[in-house]
Amino acid sequence: MDLHRKISFPRIARYNCAIKYIIEMGTGASYIMQPEMTKRTMEIGTKYSPDYVCTPFKSSLGSMIEALEAGADTILMTNGLCRLGYYGELQEQILRDLGYRFDFINLSEYVTGKLKDYLKAVKRIDPKVKLPRFLLALKDGLKMGEYVDNITEEYYKNCGFEVTKGEYKKAFRQFLSKMETARSRGEMDAGYQAALQTMGQIPVDKPEKPLQVGILGEFFTVMDAFSNLDLEQHLADMGVEVHRWMNVKNRMLHYSGEKNLNIKIRDLCSYEMGPTSTANIWCAREYAEQGFDGLIHVKSAGCTPEIDVMPVLQNISADYKIPVLYLTYDSQTSDVGLMTRLEAFYDMIRMRKRVL
Amino acid sequence: MDKPITIGLPRAMLYYRYKTLWHSFFEELGFSVIESAPTSKLTLEEGAALAIDEACLSLKIFLGHVKALIGKCDYILIPRISNFGINHEMCCRFEALYDLTRNVFRESGQKFLTYNADMIQKKSEWAAFMGLGQFFGFTVKAANKAYRTAKKAEQRQQKAEQKKQELLYRSEKIKILIAAHSYVICDAYIGKPVIEFLKGSDVVPIRADVIDPEDGAKAGKELSPTCKWQINREILGSIVQNRDKTDGIILLSAFPCGPDSMVNEIIARRVKDLPILNLVMDGQNGTAGVETRLESFIDIIRFKEGKL
Repeated sequence: MDLHRKISFPRIARYNCAIKYIIEMGTGASYIMQPEMTKRTMEIGTKYSPDYVCTPFKSSLGSMIEALEAGADTILMTNGLCRLGYYGELQEQILRDLGYRFDFINLSEYVTGKLKDYLKAVKRIDPKVKLPRFLLALKDGLKMGEYVDNITEEYYKNCGFEVTKGEYKKAFRQFLSKMETARSRGEMDAGYQAALQTMGQIPVDKPEKPLQVGILGEFFTVMDAFSNLDLEQHLADMGVEVHRWMNVKNRMLHYSGEKNLNIKIRDLCSYEMGPTSTANIWCAREYAEQGFDGLIHVKSAGCTPEIDVMPVLQNISADYKIPVLYLTYDSQTSDVGLMTRLEAFYDMIRMRKRVL
Repeated sequence: MDKPITIGLPRAMLYYRYKTLWHSFFEELGFSVIESAPTSKLTLEEGAALAIDEACLSLKIFLGHVKALIGKCDYILIPRISNFGINHEMCCRFEALYDLTRNVFRESGQKFLTYNADMIQKKSEWAAFMGLGQFFGFTVKAANKAYRTAKKAEQRQQKAEQKKQELLYRSEKIKILIAAHSYVICDAYIGKPVIEFLKGSDVVPIRADVIDPEDGAKAGKELSPTCKWQINREILGSIVQNRDKTDGIILLSAFPCGPDSMVNEIIARRVKDLPILNLVMDGQNGTAGVETRLESFIDIIRFKEGKL
């Protein structure tokens, strides 16, 4: 029997290169990179999903099918703090009922309260795994995730103001392809430094006080450009400085914790209201206090924790007189509808800036 | 003597799970406890006007009940119940409920009372109730005594309910297990009409959520190993334990319930030996549609058993 696994993970934002790095550098398995998500991904995912499950379930199911089509024999699925924690079991059942043959490693099965127990899942990926090698790859892979976040932040803050159209995008693409092919920490660091340098030299024409919009919301949809229909790019193209705190770096790797973030928002909420609620409420107030021109709250249809945050955001909006655009994405959302709402929002915040 | 402090209980969400515990605890300490009236069309309409459009029907009903209590009591009790340990979790909505409601009714001047049960963060129900006692100036001893009394009353009530339930399984009539959260099945506006219709059709409806929480959660693992929601695990457990004793299952949920949207799909895919009806209540007017579906479901069961 061939024990050499061909592993895949559903597409998530721009992080699959880091997952690939951890799997290939840390274990003996290889990683199958399925194509980026397209309309078809969403269509097949939706076709086989329950009706009113949240949208990332549908797109990730579609992405799993595309991974199996691309030759993966093992699907890896994550645990999560909301419905995400139950995605794996139901997705596996749906794929089995469809007749696909594969192995499924569901991290939700390894949740015991001790991080150590996740190592059992790693052992399943590769029974002969060498722990020091895996941990090093994990550390470096997470670093790659952080690099991706840093460059993404840099990109959306500035690409709307470049003098020559397309320069930022070119640098961004080069960086991402270097991350996808990196086989060592050295290559990764070099790619990152090069991207910083290139982006630093691109001439920009930014007004002294550009329009600033803060994007916040549900962990997956807010980060994944396919799922949010390239929201950040559209805004940047209108000439907006786009900020988004929510990413893997800030929420997972360097999270200061509910206790510390809650201090600034205690008057609004006493408890952690959901997996990303404290962060989003804190972030909204932070942006409001910094004098941002508007906020956009992004979520997939039916996202329970983000629906619950909305009454709090409405109060922040009233207190700081900051406009908030609430966007809900489902499998039917079209760019045309999105653009109409974005253009109206843009016109409004631009006029407010002139008047105020 | 001063007028006693009044605690208001919205008759929605976890009210049905904890009503005995709450009543007994506060009454033991000398408070007066009031409840909002059973859900009506107006409750839902008022709640829906206050809620975010996409919120679940149960939350809309809950906010309607809170509104009905505003200004009628000193405090409205809304706990934050997050989990009872790893993989014994509640839907995120119960983590948010207190803060969410407080933000919705910010301008009302109403005072809300809360407690936090979160075993993963080592915050037990007992400690939470001691906190409630202290908030009102009671000693730990007095609060503890009230809590123990309340806990006993709660257990008595649970045992009595479970016993009554056992008797239902002995009935000769067609028995249908209703898999639903207590706040759906017990709600006067959305669950009761279903129960009444079944009873009127000479069918015995049996609640899946009436089960010892620990036993239920344990048994539920058999049907869905990674399901982490306590209430859904209890319902799954009830299906595991009772599927041989029933003639069909109705999955009754409130649109668009997060946990149910997935767990009910698992049930439908894994329980193959029983007829299953998936009934999603969206609070629309009129019961004709629901009745038609219930009628045909009962016909299917009767037909299958050669009784039609």
